Amino acid sequence: MAFTILVADDSETMRTVIKKTVKMSGVPVAEFYEADNGKEALAVLEKSWVDVILTDINMPEMGGVELLKAISQDDVYKQIPVIFITTESSQARMDEAARLGVAGYVKKPFLPETIKKILIDVLEKAYEHRMEEGLSMPGTDEDEEMDF
Amino acid sequence: MDEQLKRTIFETMSEVFETMFFTFLEPVSALPSEGSVGENLEYIEGKISFMCDTEGGVSIYFPRGLAQFITVNFLGFEEEEVTERQILDTVRETVNMSVGSLLGKIDPEGVCNLQIPEAKTVVDFSANLLLSEPGLCLFNTEFGYLWVVYKGN
Repeated sequence: MAFTILVADDSETMRTVIKKTVKMSGVPVAEFYEADNGKEALAVLEKSWVDVILTDINMPEMGGVELLKAISQDDVYKQIPVIFITTESSQARMDEAARLGVAGYVKKPFLPETIKKILIDVLEKAYEHRMEEGLSMPGTDEDEEMDF
Repeated sequence: MDEQLKRTIFETMSEVFETMFFTFLEPVSALPSEGSVGENLEYIEGKISFMCDTEGGVSIYFPRGLAQFITVNFLGFEEEEVTERQILDTVRETVNMSVGSLLGKIDPEGVCNLQIPEAKTVVDFSANLLLSEPGLCLFNTEFGYLWVVYKGN
């Protein structure tokens, strides 16, 4: 029932904040995996199934766009929804991400409520049955503030 | 520096600090004169470059107290729990967020490519040197001045 989530960001601090935000969102999490860049994220996927990927774009070695391209070319991995959490906020970047099939886009700086809303929307679309099977997420009201 | 760009930098920096760190910045409209700014604070420099038609970049100088304060707020840890590595990482991420967000506003076509941010403790901080930078924006904080130097194209 709970979801496995991969967080890819070259900032360990940002990964910590994102994990904390997801935990506060009420989405049930079975396990978090972490990656420092796209290459590490792909290495995680080789060993473990993940339900959703939250990734930065601007990372050394392999960025989020290259990661999304690699995932979309794999018959198994392409089922995994990818959400960009990134400073890259120009319309051109967002259009490119949409063309590549990104499931969600969160601009940094972000409010915790924004990640919560987009993550829940994406999970509901991708895993409708699992979400209906007893996922009780407190406070899915978009306007509700989350306290850390 | 172009006044519109300066306003955009002020708005962008304020948005990042208020949204992510619950910290308010006060833009300084009239720069202090050389010699009037104390140089006894320890600073951490975060910088990032971007490639457009030519290379540009932004350096941000954080008083150590401010860098520690935003790290504590960001992670929700106690002050004594925060490590030097986390402080430098938060400075890098702040520079990344600020300049990425700025480019989103001044480069809506997405021509510019952001590079990877860096952070280090400054051993020879010179306020007088920074005051002569044409792309300087200055913020007042309770920990001292936050210096933002934009080098664009």
